[in-house]
Amino acid sequence: MSKRHYTWALLPIAAIAGQAFAEQGPSLEQLDQRIKILERQLENQKEEADAKAKDAATVAAGSNGFSIKSAKGDYEFKFRGLLQADGRFFLSDGPAASVRSNDGFLLRRVEPTFELTLGKQLFFRIQPNFAPDSATVSDVYGELRLDPAAVIRAGKFKVPVVLENLQASGATAFNERGFPNELGPNRDYGVQLGGALFGGTTSYALGIFNGASDGRDGAQQAKTAGDNRKEFAGRVFSEPFKNEPGLLQGLGFGVGGTYGTRERGTVGISDLAYRTPGQNTFFSYVSSGSVFTQSHGYEYRVSPQAYYYRNSFGLVAEYIENAQQVITNTGSKADTLHHKAYQGVANYFLTGEDASYGGLTKPKNPLGKDGYGAFELVARYGVLDIDDKTFPTFASATASASKASTWAAGLNWYPVNNLKIDLAYSLTRFDGGAAGTPSTVVVDRQDEKLVYSRFQIWF
Amino acid sequence: MLKKLIATLALGLAAPLSAYAASYQLLNVSYDPTRELYKAINTAFAADYKAKTGDTVSIQQSHGGSGKQARAVIDGLDADVVTLALAADIDAIAKNAKTIPENWQSRLPDNASPYTSTIVFLVRKGNPKQIKDWGDLIKPGVSVVTPNPKTSGGARWNYLAAYAWALKQNNKDDAKAQAYVKELYKHAPVLDTGARGATTTFVQRGIGDVLLAWENEAFLSLDEFGADKFDIVVPSLSILAEPPVSVVDKVVDKKGTRKVAEAYLKYLYTDAAQDIIAKNYYRPRNPAIAAKYADKFPKLNLVTIADFGGWTKAQQTHFADGGVFDKIYLAN
Repeated sequence: MSKRHYTWALLPIAAIAGQAFAEQGPSLEQLDQRIKILERQLENQKEEADAKAKDAATVAAGSNGFSIKSAKGDYEFKFRGLLQADGRFFLSDGPAASVRSNDGFLLRRVEPTFELTLGKQLFFRIQPNFAPDSATVSDVYGELRLDPAAVIRAGKFKVPVVLENLQASGATAFNERGFPNELGPNRDYGVQLGGALFGGTTSYALGIFNGASDGRDGAQQAKTAGDNRKEFAGRVFSEPFKNEPGLLQGLGFGVGGTYGTRERGTVGISDLAYRTPGQNTFFSYVSSGSVFTQSHGYEYRVSPQAYYYRNSFGLVAEYIENAQQVITNTGSKADTLHHKAYQGVANYFLTGEDASYGGLTKPKNPLGKDGYGAFELVARYGVLDIDDKTFPTFASATASASKASTWAAGLNWYPVNNLKIDLAYSLTRFDGGAAGTPSTVVVDRQDEKLVYSRFQIWF
Repeated sequence: MLKKLIATLALGLAAPLSAYAASYQLLNVSYDPTRELYKAINTAFAADYKAKTGDTVSIQQSHGGSGKQARAVIDGLDADVVTLALAADIDAIAKNAKTIPENWQSRLPDNASPYTSTIVFLVRKGNPKQIKDWGDLIKPGVSVVTPNPKTSGGARWNYLAAYAWALKQNNKDDAKAQAYVKELYKHAPVLDTGARGATTTFVQRGIGDVLLAWENEAFLSLDEFGADKFDIVVPSLSILAEPPVSVVDKVVDKKGTRKVAEAYLKYLYTDAAQDIIAKNYYRPRNPAIAAKYADKFPKLNLVTIADFGGWTKAQQTHFADGGVFDKIYLAN
């Protein structure tokens, strides 16, 4: 309020005071002093409040979550969250219940995320997941940020290998990630050095981990037979034109990989199972019976990867080769198996929003505000090819497919900020993987025809 | 491309030459009314230092109530030097932040106070309320402007000067002195956080009949707003204010500015700086310069902080939480 406004606001008070003391009361000069004193007191109070406001923590709330930040910005608490309620419906009739065991509604992720910045160098993040029957912790790690080019991270977090896996779960084009994710590690326990170089155009990460099975999280202090002793992982990714507006600004490419060894234990490889988009297992090793498959030696993964974003269009492409040494428990046969997967995922916003690796939380024209939200078309083609040497010794050709190919298309709708509702269809075909008549005859596993949808709140 | 190449070559050639001349930036965290003083000092010092060493110095100033400024330094403000209103505020930095050694006052002459000042009354032209001494301040209808002793160094000097007068008037009777000071603050309708704010209240906002002011601030008001608007009244007794200075050791060692920061404070004792000090209505320590400007400064009877047992005791007795000031002011 300006000084003039204060004066007008105070005039009635002065008038009343003047009336009350009219007979014996204060002179005009005294009343003028009183008004001036009140004005100055208000002025000082405002100065004091302004000064306090500068030192006070700021509270922010928006489409990116909620935060409390200290006046200097070096201490911050952030709260974010992700809810994914899915529906999966298999269209084809199939004889085996296992082919479509995941039909129905489910909570895929319920993940509140808490992030704390402590001073300029320390960062802590914890992200539990309440979707499973028993709550788990997705991410929990701390960071020592020595420099933008040198950040040490320790705890449980995503291993830096597969491009789509490193994308935020709320930002992926489809409900489930593609086949390369099945051959790469997911989250694991370990320590990593990473950072950004060359003006933020190149990022790198080098880490050592317990060793995660393909497509799965690693375990704490994993020492059971069949687990990796330790696994090294690294990734470098460059966006050379990131700071130069133009056709290639949204181009990024890189390579990730791991190398680790597995102990030769006494049990089979039971924790490895490659899944379809409907989350049904279509490949696993023989892990029980008189002759079964064990880990034996090294496993490495190499994954060249790239993305390109330009205006409303986006494309993610990646390839991964996974080599793992296996042996039968009898020791009669050992081999190095090379499994491969690749995919391309494209997206396009019909309503003009910019496509990005970080996903969309704010449509340009939300529903109810002269708009209908944002609409995004998405498409995928992907293949996972099992090494032919796997069959029949290490895996059963009548139970596990040697190849899966999938294509999918969908429509994502972002009606308002932080909400995404999607509907997609995917068709996955298999080579082998089922028994004919007689049961020793290998036939192709039945196609997986899947309609799936999601209701997602992400902030 | 050619331009870039030439620029790079020029920089490469210039680098070895410029390596001999350094550039420094200092932050002087000071109290409220010294803006004009240090603006003049900083210009003179930068020129002097450049001439002597070839190095460039730029000095940033920060001003506010002395107590508030000390709190900011304790809380992490990276001051290379502090030039505050009273020793208690630098003592507080030494005690709480441990960024200054406790013997800081022994590192420079005159207890590290390169100049002195005192407290006088600034009244409206013609002195319509006939205010001549401390006793007149508590007469009915007299409105007094003074800052808040909890945040302002100048206000603490005001308080102690008033208290000293009351003690003298009442044969050193503390209870009567406290009663006087209590009555004095009943006549103070606005307590600004610093001396400059109080000057604004009195001079620009037109509030009150008398401003208890730093002597330099009173003269500055006459210069700036006209001798036809205000008069200075010298009370029968006042206090010798000794605003002290110190390098903030931890900061200068971290920034590598100790040499230039120490030179800056030593410069305050030079003839050139003492002359600037006198021209800005602060009382110089240098006897020759003081004699040169003797006619500018009225002679008055002064008590010193030693009469209150030193700043540590005075601070604890009067201005600490729960001290005399809190008791009398809250009672009002």
